[in-house]
Amino acid sequence: MVDGTENDIKPNGNYSSDNNLLIDCKNVDVFYGDKQALYNVSLGINEKEVTSLIGPSGCGKSTFLRCLNRMNDVIDSCSISGNITINGEDIYNPNIDVVELRSRIGMVFQKPNPFPKSVFDNVAYGPRLHGKIADKDEMSHKVEASLVRAGLWDEIKDRLNEPGTSLSGGQQQRLCIARAIAVDPEIILMDEPCSALDPIATAKIEELIDELKTNYTIVIVTHSMQQAARVSQRTAFFHLGNLIEVGDTENIFRSPENEQTEAYVTGRYG
Amino acid sequence: MTEHIVSSYDDDLKEISDGVISMGGEVLGALNNIETLLKNNDHELAQKIIKNDLIINDLGQSVENKVFNILASRQPMAIDLRIVFSAVKISLYLERCGDMCKGISNRVLKGDLNEAQSPETISLLVNMCSMVHSNLRIVMEDYSKKECENSVKVWKSDSEIDSLYSEILMDILNSIKTNPDATDALVPLLFIARYLERVGDQATNVAEETYFVVTGEDLEGLEKTEVENETTF
Repeated sequence: MVDGTENDIKPNGNYSSDNNLLIDCKNVDVFYGDKQALYNVSLGINEKEVTSLIGPSGCGKSTFLRCLNRMNDVIDSCSISGNITINGEDIYNPNIDVVELRSRIGMVFQKPNPFPKSVFDNVAYGPRLHGKIADKDEMSHKVEASLVRAGLWDEIKDRLNEPGTSLSGGQQQRLCIARAIAVDPEIILMDEPCSALDPIATAKIEELIDELKTNYTIVIVTHSMQQAARVSQRTAFFHLGNLIEVGDTENIFRSPENEQTEAYVTGRYG
Repeated sequence: MTEHIVSSYDDDLKEISDGVISMGGEVLGALNNIETLLKNNDHELAQKIIKNDLIINDLGQSVENKVFNILASRQPMAIDLRIVFSAVKISLYLERCGDMCKGISNRVLKGDLNEAQSPETISLLVNMCSMVHSNLRIVMEDYSKKECENSVKVWKSDSEIDSLYSEILMDILNSIKTNPDATDALVPLLFIARYLERVGDQATNVAEETYFVVTGEDLEGLEKTEVENETTF
């Protein structure tokens, strides 16, 4: 780990200057074996905002996302250097409890992945695992509250005992979001959460993201420029493992400063 | 800028820009004719300008339709979005220019130039028309080349047209003072000057949009300039 002092920060304006910084990444390098996937990425993510990560396939945006909840730890060949703090706490400190860390950072994947359990048990799984709730009524209340927040309660309140996998794709994805928020995370990471969904289901997820941002910090990887423009307040563009530009979403899609960013968002990148 | 991966996207954007450029060409043609019209009091030419306004309107409608389609089908971003957004605004400015030219032509057909009996004022109007034409030509050239250096110069020099406009107003008012009987004949020239001054304003609007397309930034001071112009009249 480097010290992450001010001198380490890339002097390219790619750094959040806002006061409500929650996730602070400095000089992050990631290697898969000998292959470097991220180069000296410094990026600040603000609290209770949606930050979009965009870029072509293989640019490192999902790798970066997975650094934030130490998902890359499960890949043997992966090594990470640099400094990542959440609320000032170094999440790669050897003394940190990774399970506890991940309970604070929910994750939603490209393909909905409900557990082969009932709808109820999918949502109750996290609180049970972390021993947060023992009382049955309290658990029922938590499940209902999570499903309500995920905008799913009204649709499936009579199907709580049915398998989660029996729901439609869009409902399954919102079930996964309900599962993520059931453990009261601070942060929700979303890796292309709508790429397997139809436009209606996508709209419901986007509506949900809009509501969730009042309580959660959301980082979303998306291949849809329009989705990034619709749901996020800040957007970061990655290319070949480098963070090329980050800024207010409005500026990124109206008049980006970097030519590579402009080429990508306008569909000129070849 | 390199080409889009989807080449038909380039074609769609080019059609929109070309539509705006065609509108600009038609308006410049109309202004050329206005200059001749003022010099020669040519009623046949006035009829032609009025008829030509329909072409300008049709071109504007065509640009709007293409913009609708590209917004729905491509969801343009960054420079593309600026091109599309500005095309709507510029086509509206140019359509207004066409309306001003039509308004001047209608005035001429009513016989205002015959009755005015004021060759000095008409000569000033011809000069003003020439300046307005020059400004619009420069900004449309910039727009077609996606450059903005000369547009900024036009934007900054709009006060020259305003000064000439003020000079014409003073000239007409002085004529009225010395010859009150000519009031009815001279007042219509005020309207012609006003039309030309407004075409000049549209040229600066086009300059602002061209600057926005090229740089993504706004030219500052727009509101102040507009307010000053309004109070002048």
